[in-house]
Amino acid sequence: MIFLRRQLPLLITLVTGLLFAAQYYVPHPASEQMLTSATKWLQIVGGFALILGVTSLFHQHAVKIRRQEAGWGYSLVLYVGMLGTIAVGLWTNGKESVEGTMTAFGWIYNYMMVPLQGTMFAILAFFIASAAYRSFRAKSREAAVLLVAAVIVMMGRVPLGEYLIPLSGDVSSWILNVLNSSVRRAILIGVSLGAVALSFKIIFGVERSYLGGGKE
Amino acid sequence: MWMAGMTFSEKMLKIDRRIIFLMIGLCTLLPLLYPVGLPIKTSSEVRGVYDHIESLPEGSVFLLSIDFDPASKPELYPQAIALLRHAFKKNLHVITMTLWVSGTGMADQLVTQVAKEMGKENGTDYTFLGWSPGGQAVIINMGQDLYSAYPSDYRGKPTKELPILEGVRSLKDVGYMVSLGAGRPGVEEWYVFGKDKYKFEMGGGCTGVMAPGLYPLLRSGQINGLIGGLRGAAEYENLIGQKGKAVAGMDAQSATHLAIIALVIMCNLFYFSLRQQKG
Repeated sequence: MIFLRRQLPLLITLVTGLLFAAQYYVPHPASEQMLTSATKWLQIVGGFALILGVTSLFHQHAVKIRRQEAGWGYSLVLYVGMLGTIAVGLWTNGKESVEGTMTAFGWIYNYMMVPLQGTMFAILAFFIASAAYRSFRAKSREAAVLLVAAVIVMMGRVPLGEYLIPLSGDVSSWILNVLNSSVRRAILIGVSLGAVALSFKIIFGVERSYLGGGKE
Repeated sequence: MWMAGMTFSEKMLKIDRRIIFLMIGLCTLLPLLYPVGLPIKTSSEVRGVYDHIESLPEGSVFLLSIDFDPASKPELYPQAIALLRHAFKKNLHVITMTLWVSGTGMADQLVTQVAKEMGKENGTDYTFLGWSPGGQAVIINMGQDLYSAYPSDYRGKPTKELPILEGVRSLKDVGYMVSLGAGRPGVEEWYVFGKDKYKFEMGGGCTGVMAPGLYPLLRSGQINGLIGGLRGAAEYENLIGQKGKAVAGMDAQSATHLAIIALVIMCNLFYFSLRQQKG
């Protein structure tokens, strides 16, 4: 049992990890064919992951409704919305329109999902403005630098700002292209080196948390 | 809430947030009702995408990945419209797709609408492949074999039979690619899993808040252009000479940006005045 639970997954990880890391550098047709098959499998597994995600979501909210936990009404709305959409989707064969005529599924998408998502995004502007007023204060030297940079970029990214302060466009562009790029690149390099180190640890079995914490 | 004995600065710092909401609401609404139409300068980032499409010969394959959902529609939809109009005007072979399942219906409507406006035919001048599960795996699979990643288009027609995909076996046959991304998978994934291995030229488009994060890709030449937010879309609309929703929205964006700047300056003035009072 230990072999199936511990050693076999570690072996699969080691072999596939090394194989696919090497595959990138081998342009032989057999190597390419292997990648094609593997990515096709990945796509199929991706489809099943969707089912797993939906099942897990249903389970979580079912528990909330059964126990009548705080906000269980929202879980009920989620259930009704999700089951209703799935039923309508299956009924219309997943089509949003048939020969130019909108189906019920298309109606749900166009008149419920699109405006709801749009609304969620739109209210961000109001909350950002309110949050900026309450918390964007030059309490330290670092905060003051951040504040000045933010104001310049905000001015330089809109026509009215460039019209009022013509230099703001160029300064904003310099901040984004030079300061922002170099700092982000440094962060990216750090993150990438960390990812490489973690990948090696997983491939060689040093990092095993993905196997789960069950007792052997 | 205001309490007795509060100084003016304290009162102002604790201002009812509904007043701020009202201010932002008015700054958005009034310029939309009474547009000013200030000139919009074109940045080198946006020009990079425009110039590359402009340099493509007629019949080149242009892949547009619409990697966003309705939440980012206000910023990315105008970008997609402007890019499609440009590509159709140049008579490119346009392949469209999405890596975001929740954006499929919107992407289909978008492509169909612009193609109809430009008098293009589905299957011959353009195609919408739809969505396929797997995120970055779809990109790799398309790089290996496009017909395997998408056996049929969104309308269910086999991709091998589409005249527009004749000779387009994988991403290696794509002339230029633009990913309009609102998150992951998006521009970065297209670079890492697509361009880097399958060697096609690519540009990007994203929401305003994401743009600073993509500048390292731009500066290193990993992408040759970047359309950032509504401003980027407005610049592109200006370049193709077809002003649309992005140009119309720039006045509102100008006003809200200035309103937020004014709020930040005011809050700092009150903050320092309060600090001085308290010694």
